[in-house]
Amino acid sequence: MPADISNETLDFLLARAGLDLTPAQKEELKSVYAGIAAMADRVRKPRGIMAEPAHAYGFNEENL
Amino acid sequence: MPGAAISPGIPTIAEAARQIAAKQLSPVELTRACLDRVRKLDDQLHAFVLVTEERALAEARQAEAAIMAGGPRGPLHGIPIGLKDIVDTKGIPTTCGSKILQDNIPDADAACAETLAAAGTVLIGKTTTHEFADGGPSFDLPKPPARNPWNTEHFTAGSSSGTGAAIAAGLVLGGIGTDTGGSIRGPAALCGIAGIKPTYGLVSRAGVAPAAFSLDHIGPMAWTAEDCALMLQALAGYDPRDPASADRPVPNYTAALGTGIKGLKIGVIHHFHEVDYKVSEGTQRGIDGAISTLHDLGAEIREVQVSPMQDWQACGSLISMTERAAAYEEWARTRLGDFSERVQRRLMLGALVSGVDYVQAVRRRRELRAELKAAMAGLDIVLTAAAPAEAPKIDNVPVWDMFDRPSFTIPFNVAGYPAISVCGGYGEGGLPVAVQLVAKPFAEPTLFRVADAFEKATPYRNTRPALA
Repeated sequence: MPADISNETLDFLLARAGLDLTPAQKEELKSVYAGIAAMADRVRKPRGIMAEPAHAYGFNEENL
Repeated sequence: MPGAAISPGIPTIAEAARQIAAKQLSPVELTRACLDRVRKLDDQLHAFVLVTEERALAEARQAEAAIMAGGPRGPLHGIPIGLKDIVDTKGIPTTCGSKILQDNIPDADAACAETLAAAGTVLIGKTTTHEFADGGPSFDLPKPPARNPWNTEHFTAGSSSGTGAAIAAGLVLGGIGTDTGGSIRGPAALCGIAGIKPTYGLVSRAGVAPAAFSLDHIGPMAWTAEDCALMLQALAGYDPRDPASADRPVPNYTAALGTGIKGLKIGVIHHFHEVDYKVSEGTQRGIDGAISTLHDLGAEIREVQVSPMQDWQACGSLISMTERAAAYEEWARTRLGDFSERVQRRLMLGALVSGVDYVQAVRRRRELRAELKAAMAGLDIVLTAAAPAEAPKIDNVPVWDMFDRPSFTIPFNVAGYPAISVCGGYGEGGLPVAVQLVAKPFAEPTLFRVADAFEKATPYRNTRPALA
């Protein structure tokens, strides 16, 4: 994941999120993007197939 | 040692319960004493956003009449408490510290408010919170941030900031906090009290504003671990209104207190506080002292290694910022400017995390949980710091600390394991430092047993902040 983000990409992401930011807020967000990129890299460790976002349904009599 | 000798006017919950049961302490007088301290100190502390004086006195009178007629319902009967202002209270404003909810008056109590009321507690008021339990301290909200009773120029940490300050100063004997990345244990650490984040799912979240659904925990804060145990006894239990609620028997949380800790195995995650993020000298002294005390009490001390704190921080932060952005998406889109500047920044971050990042973080959480489980095999407790240092000045809290400084508390939100912060002494500035103890899922009885033994073997519960 690149540590920088272009103005165009940031505008696209903000538009998708529906956020209307001031130019100062956009600049601030760009300044911390490297921190997000580093976090995103950290969670991409080599892993086995069991590392899935599994969830469990609490099937009880009421649900059947 | 800083502070003053403990005031006889500020009992612990356990002490007050014994005196109330023996009819030596009046719940009405206890409530009045708390309200007097609120009047005297809260202009400096800002621990409360709303004081419910009339209701408190009415509840205290009811409790007193019932106790005189038939004895106390339990150890919380007649005990003055505070509820964090993200906890719904029927007929009482619940603002989440936000301009957006200034007129919000819930028509039902949150589950935790309901269970504490049923146990006979007396509600002194709603305590200050960071806005929607995130991002403080903020000075652009309807109410000012809470201040640390040990030195009011310093921060309480958050987001359960008012509850922490109110308990340390004796404005209440216990209270409710919530903890998504450390919001119970952080204020407990910086205010020198005890605060437990129970196992995920143990205490119902129904009626409490969300921060990040899969990391949110509700828990008690009090002067001692024993008091937290007494409160958790009332709070724990299955609630079908909370989709994550754990359906399992509730053990007795105080039964093992005072039985000693000889033979218990305690692992120390040295690399968290000595390598991954080196704590202050005062905090390190507190941790070393705690290890020595626990060893002297008969515990076996070992070293434990898990992934670096930065890995836990990355995992927890990505999940937290995404789930928070989802929870508050509509208001972020339509009323972003009505949030405090700090919360606006937090909500903006959600736009930078992709769906794939989120799923990778959730997958990484599964691995980290498995790693902690393996590391704790053969251990009863693990120990590390609860906070990196004493409380900073309230006007010197970084806006983007999540990128600069990994959290000592978030690993156990990621894992869902129960964790308690207890006072471990005082640092160079005379403010409290803390130790964090962590147990296996649903092993709160062991956690309280160790925390209580530590507190009773050390002098730190004998001193309140000087202003109290």
